[in-house]
Amino acid sequence: MRIERRLRQPWWLVVVVPVVSVAVAFVLSGFVLFLTGHPPLKSFHRLLDAAFIANGALSETVVSATPLVFTGLAAAVAFRMNLFNIGGEGQLYAGAITGATVGLLIGGSPSPLIFAGMIAAGAVGGALLAAIPAILRAFFSTNEIITSLMLNYVVALIMEYLIFDSHSYLRDTSGFEANVFPQGKTLSDKASWSSLSIHGLVLPLGFLLAIGVAVLVWVLYARTRFGFEVQVIGDSARAGRYAGMRTRRKILAVMCLSGGIAGIGGASQIGDFRHQLDPRGLRDASYGYTGIVVAALARYNPFAVVVVALLLGGLTNAGFTLQGADFPAGLVGMMQGLILFCALGGELFVRYRVRFAW
Amino acid sequence: MVNNSLIVVVLSSGVLYGTPLLYAALGEVLAERSGVLNLGVEGMMLMGAVMGFWTVERVHGPTPLILAASIGVAALAGAVMAAIHAFLVITLRANQIVSGLALTIFAGAAGLSSYLGNDLQLAGKPAKHQFQEIFPTSWQDLPVVGPIIFGQSLLVYASWVCVVLVALYLTRTRLGLNLRAVGESPAAADAMGVNVSRYRYAHTLVGGAFAGVGGAAFSLSITPQWVDGLTQGAGWIAIALVIFAFWRPTLCLLGAYFFGAFTALPFALQGHGVTVAPELFQTLPYVATIVALVLVSSRAARLRFGAPAALGLPYVREER
Amino acid sequence: MGEVHALLGENGAGKTTLSKILTGLYRPDEGEIVLFGHAVEFSSPRAALDAGIAMVHQHFRLVSPFTVAENVVLGDHRDVGRSFLLRQREIEARVGELSQRYGLAVDPRARIWQLSVGEQQRVEILKALYQDARILILDEPTAVLTPQEAEALFETIRAMAADGRTVIFISHKLHEVKAVADRVTVLRRGKSVATVPAADSTPRSLAALMVGHELDAGRRPTDRGTVGEPVLDLAGVCADGDRGVPAVNDVSLTIRGGEIVGVAGVAGNGQRELAETIVGMRPLTSGTVEVCGRRLSGGDPREAISAGVAYVPEDRLGTGVAPGLSIASNIVLKSYRAAPVSTGPMLRFGRIRDLARGVIDRYDVRTSGPNVPAWQLSGGNLQKVVLAREFSGEPAVLVAASPTRGLDVAGIETVHSYLRDAASTGVGVLLISEDLDEILALADRVAVMYEGSVVGERDVETATVEELGLMMAGAGGED
Repeated sequence: MRIERRLRQPWWLVVVVPVVSVAVAFVLSGFVLFLTGHPPLKSFHRLLDAAFIANGALSETVVSATPLVFTGLAAAVAFRMNLFNIGGEGQLYAGAITGATVGLLIGGSPSPLIFAGMIAAGAVGGALLAAIPAILRAFFSTNEIITSLMLNYVVALIMEYLIFDSHSYLRDTSGFEANVFPQGKTLSDKASWSSLSIHGLVLPLGFLLAIGVAVLVWVLYARTRFGFEVQVIGDSARAGRYAGMRTRRKILAVMCLSGGIAGIGGASQIGDFRHQLDPRGLRDASYGYTGIVVAALARYNPFAVVVVALLLGGLTNAGFTLQGADFPAGLVGMMQGLILFCALGGELFVRYRVRFAW
Repeated sequence: MVNNSLIVVVLSSGVLYGTPLLYAALGEVLAERSGVLNLGVEGMMLMGAVMGFWTVERVHGPTPLILAASIGVAALAGAVMAAIHAFLVITLRANQIVSGLALTIFAGAAGLSSYLGNDLQLAGKPAKHQFQEIFPTSWQDLPVVGPIIFGQSLLVYASWVCVVLVALYLTRTRLGLNLRAVGESPAAADAMGVNVSRYRYAHTLVGGAFAGVGGAAFSLSITPQWVDGLTQGAGWIAIALVIFAFWRPTLCLLGAYFFGAFTALPFALQGHGVTVAPELFQTLPYVATIVALVLVSSRAARLRFGAPAALGLPYVREER
Repeated sequence: MGEVHALLGENGAGKTTLSKILTGLYRPDEGEIVLFGHAVEFSSPRAALDAGIAMVHQHFRLVSPFTVAENVVLGDHRDVGRSFLLRQREIEARVGELSQRYGLAVDPRARIWQLSVGEQQRVEILKALYQDARILILDEPTAVLTPQEAEALFETIRAMAADGRTVIFISHKLHEVKAVADRVTVLRRGKSVATVPAADSTPRSLAALMVGHELDAGRRPTDRGTVGEPVLDLAGVCADGDRGVPAVNDVSLTIRGGEIVGVAGVAGNGQRELAETIVGMRPLTSGTVEVCGRRLSGGDPREAISAGVAYVPEDRLGTGVAPGLSIASNIVLKSYRAAPVSTGPMLRFGRIRDLARGVIDRYDVRTSGPNVPAWQLSGGNLQKVVLAREFSGEPAVLVAASPTRGLDVAGIETVHSYLRDAASTGVGVLLISEDLDEILALADRVAVMYEGSVVGERDVETATVEELGLMMAGAGGED
């Protein structure tokens, strides 16, 4: 087998390969289902139905997709510069914490003010958390993969502490059940984010915001000097330094941007959907890690992130709806992993031409 | 009695909790020394944990035989997972970081290991056969060394043997020399006739096997049940451990027990009547990992004890 | 057998490719290799080594953190069986024995990164001898040696030949080929043009075969323009190397506008670090760097760029150019911050494309368009892009490090003419090169670096190769 680097990449290859990857992943998942005694075609049909077709399914899918757009963009923004920010999960939690706090604090103000406040707080929370691995990487050359990942566990534990073990501002201490069944304080009605309804399809504010962020990210990366520098440094850090680019500042900027986006996703979770700080729910959802899969499958393109987030959101949504004795748990994670494997394998065909010599 | 003092309890628990870290780290050392970064350790450990547990549940026979079989199955499960990663990054030249992450997502909590664990109904009951302490109680009652050294299971003692074997392998054998060359300078190794691909495949798979055994240590010794995601990030700590130990097996042992002690600390403190919010203490191993990494990444340290130079890079013979 | 056979050809003629086929690194598309009377095919380097063919590459294949002995014995599987364990003492003894015999003095216990380039080459040769290679291929071995070290190498080669081994000596240097070879095969554009006995050839006849027509290989007279004010002033410059040890020791040098100053020396004596310090890619530990009278604080490439320092780095593809980005992007690599390439934070792609097309036309860069990724360009074209970019910034100082490495004759000519043009427009050129001939052909003055210091400075017109060679080796020159 001979592998040669391609000189020209036909544009269609970039679209076909991810699509084929998803198809292959489905086939493989079907195989696993079959081997473990579940009917594959029926399971897939139920999956698709629950994800997109059934009544209200699409709106539910948008709900599942919204956080994935944020974490997907967060990952894409950083990975483009070879900064492997695995901390999207924790940065989302941080944004949820700060967003919920502000939402509670100014819960009496007019709604638009609350939204703006929560969004800003979410962004700041996520950005500050991301600043830690950023500084460690920029100034101490510490591997950001591990530092950002470790912080995921730390913030998750802090979140749990805030609700389950302390009497923090965020905890609901009213009602006689509060000590036995700890949960977060519910935000006021005015702090509930609005949504747009089009022919029965409900688009939450967070989703619209996410699309806006995707557009901004695209412009930033494709059309500005900032984006140019990211491209150069991502391709060759030495060339970036040679050209007089401030690589350290870039690392900080990109990581904080990434964390900030994930943080807004966290604020959206509180404002759009949960209306209280819900540690268990957020941890179970693994939005951050799924966001990495989204980004990789979308090949780090902001618009593709939106599309892929809808796809994987549908998968997740179906997973929730169908959970039960005859629908295996863990199937969703498995399929996500398979899709990613196939996408990675497919990359080979995008970059190289493979010849088989007999 | 001194054996009930906080220090002894923490140290002996540290050895216990550090054992899965040690196995996983040894495996990752071998893989990374060949130049392959495998971030899927968490996933491989979870697969080892679930498949080892399954063996113990479903296979019947005398305890020693079952336990041996379960370790074998756990190792095999880890190796199979590692094979996926190896194929993607060695033959298909995929990005090693993303591939390792994919492996963790695929095999990890809410992935294949969860699928298998729930499907095979393995949750909610303790393991039928477990790795118990093997020395007589009188030995275990000796001051200090009793609980720490004689109070451990076969898995722990086997891990010590593994440390010695891996260390000797790397420094004193021809294969070990070739391996190190593959990780430092695959071009040099290739020109001297060493088959770079073969070494990378072999050591990545062995790395997976070790990780699988590390996972089984959780489900068959520490927890000892199967729970979704029972490793709680140990795989990631193991990866950090490899860096912290400068890719040396002997330092892996010290590091594993260091982090194990941090993991044991909150439980030990609770046993001593200290009521502090457990969550905050549970952050300690993760924070310690970050601090350790920063210290180790300083320029001076890196200059003297760096990573294998070719770590993370695919080797292609014909590229300029 | 027992012959020293030279393969002569200019860069790009196919010498390295041919040797890589012989040692199993490449597969031939056609033809056959007949070894000791049998037709052979090598599927891997292992196969070639087993057949008795070994190569000493131009870019060493050594494992830097390993010791000499470990490198020599790497991959050796001949006495398998119970040779699972490494026998340190036996290996070191054998290595010592071989180095005595062939005059290759080196300490078996030393680590590669501690050795000089010349010593590293000896390790490469020892590797081949340890494997008892019957045929040794040496690829441009004297590129990294002082003239005196090259002589010692020729001694070693003669000893190996006397032992019945065959040595294939690849070079583009005519006088060396005459000095050491028995027969010479000349390659041109991938074809073998002639095989002649060395004794019957002259440098001119060989050169003619190499290039296909007569060349005058003399030193071109430097046509001196007027030399202006000092544009680059180094005083007592010190800097640390990658390993934290000082690499540049108290270097003082002045370059004036319009002159070309060469820095000669064997690779690894601080030249790269000096270049990096001047252009701001490496921090100064002491001393001053002044560009047109303006003092640079050092360690900041942007400061140097805005002061008017242009840099053509040794590492073309990884540093001078971002390989995955298009030619157009690389052309604006330094100028993107200001108009006309960008307006405020936004880039102007139309202008970038126009600029790129302009450069491609004016400098005759062979490519299918400005959007082609840079890694696809050949070495010569890549260097044109780099040079074009650096000149467009209208620099005061141009630092060029090994600018003609790996280029063919046409490419070398182009680079040399650019450098001369730059000097004639008043730019001060600092030319760092391992090729003494190149410096003698281009520069007005030459400074020799040894172990991080400038051990001597001479006017090119009055300097002799012997004197410079001695300085390069650390003997001779003033303090």
